[in-house]
Amino acid sequence: MMPMLAFMKKEILETARTGKLVILVLLFALFGVMNPAIAKLTPWMMEILSDSLAESGLTVANVQVDAMTSWGQFFKNIPIALIAFVLIFSDSFTREYRSGTLLLALTKGLSRYKVVLAKTVLLFSQWTLGYGLCFSITYGYTAYFWDNSIANNLLFAAAMWWLFGVWVISLIVLFSSLLQNNTSVILCTGGIVLLAYVLRVIPKSKAYSPALLMNVNSLLSGVEGTKAYGEAALVAVVSAAIFVALSVLNMNKRQV
Amino acid sequence: MHYLCRRWKGGGMETYMEILTIEDLKKSFGGKEVLRGLDLTVPEHSIFGFIGRNGAGKTTTMKAILGLLKPDGGQIHVCGEKVRFGQTHTNRHIGYLPDVPEFYAYMTPLEYLRFCGEISGMGKADLTARSNELLELVGLGQERRRIKGFSRGMKQRLGIAQALLNRPKLLICDEPTSALDPVGRKEILDILLAAKEQTTILFSTHILSDVERICTEAAFLNDGKIAMQGTIEELRSMRPSDGFESLFLEVTR
Repeated sequence: MMPMLAFMKKEILETARTGKLVILVLLFALFGVMNPAIAKLTPWMMEILSDSLAESGLTVANVQVDAMTSWGQFFKNIPIALIAFVLIFSDSFTREYRSGTLLLALTKGLSRYKVVLAKTVLLFSQWTLGYGLCFSITYGYTAYFWDNSIANNLLFAAAMWWLFGVWVISLIVLFSSLLQNNTSVILCTGGIVLLAYVLRVIPKSKAYSPALLMNVNSLLSGVEGTKAYGEAALVAVVSAAIFVALSVLNMNKRQV
Repeated sequence: MHYLCRRWKGGGMETYMEILTIEDLKKSFGGKEVLRGLDLTVPEHSIFGFIGRNGAGKTTTMKAILGLLKPDGGQIHVCGEKVRFGQTHTNRHIGYLPDVPEFYAYMTPLEYLRFCGEISGMGKADLTARSNELLELVGLGQERRRIKGFSRGMKQRLGIAQALLNRPKLLICDEPTSALDPVGRKEILDILLAAKEQTTILFSTHILSDVERICTEAAFLNDGKIAMQGTIEELRSMRPSDGFESLFLEVTR
């Protein structure tokens, strides 16, 4: 256990000293502030735009915003934050292959499965930290300006989106154990996410696609209940566990 | 597998340990056969020169010893234990210095050694004492900067410190002097000579003067096999007038 903790400690130090922690905090805090801010500023922006819209024949009526507008922005913006997260953190393994830094750690007797598990736990934690920060800031400001209680199943909806992020990270881990460079890892991860998205569009497979976890608007408005997400959540959890287990097997076979 | 061996030396029988034995090691990359049945034994307390041209298969052999590459055939034993690809259990006996050691640039030398000690399960007190002792040995005792600003020679010296951290029975150095200037080369060779008291050294190179200066035994790698192996005196006696260079040219022709 101590070697794995030492490797995790190294990963934390790396995140802090390479500036990634600062970028993570700033990025997710910015999105967290932006969601209620955009909602709050929407009437004002519409008013400014009303003249030009009137010239086009569109009339702007009295725009009403509430907590649902803010949470709508949150779930609209969080995919962009996840993409940024993937771009920043997806080289966790490939950077070590490229630089050769992992070689010395392995020659010290560090087990390969500990490398995979330590990096996976750290990636999950970084995503949880960033996502949690963004959610908390949006929650705080939305509560200050409006009433959060009008959003149905808010915590459940947020948990579903967090789980989707975890599933994407498990894909990064899997492809990092198979491939040599970061671009290939990002492309393959994107390919699988796209496939999940296509499965979500097909009625028969919709309920089982992890991409369903991104589509929480009907949950917030109360059109659908939490049960509708059961299969997709189960598929995401089981497949993420399988991806990490496969990564360990791949890593054990990898020639360094 | 024989770990304890005997041989005739200086008119008498000498008992010695085989730290490393390699039997019939084979490895191909694509269609290219790099190792074609390599046999090698390294006795304890020697500085063993592993000589070969660039691309002869020295690094491949060393990575196979460390369990980092999967051999196509043959066996490797370190301290009597079989090396298994992907499992690094035998690496607890080994310290490794790659040709271009790469470290986490955001760490200081002391932090890096602490990291190495922790992942290999060293006790805290021993790790602190050993880290300070080794940083003094390699001349980095007063260095507080992060590794990012280090020269190649400084990285090579830190590489030796990390390789010796766990008091390995076998220190494997892959061309440690190849890319260094004469001053840097001398520093590394002096450190290796000092380390001889603590460990056995397998030292790959194509710089013959380095071998003559510090090695007690040597083997020539050619065409994926060991073409010649012996003590430095034995090898020198084969070409008393021309020295190592003509022997190297003849063997690796």
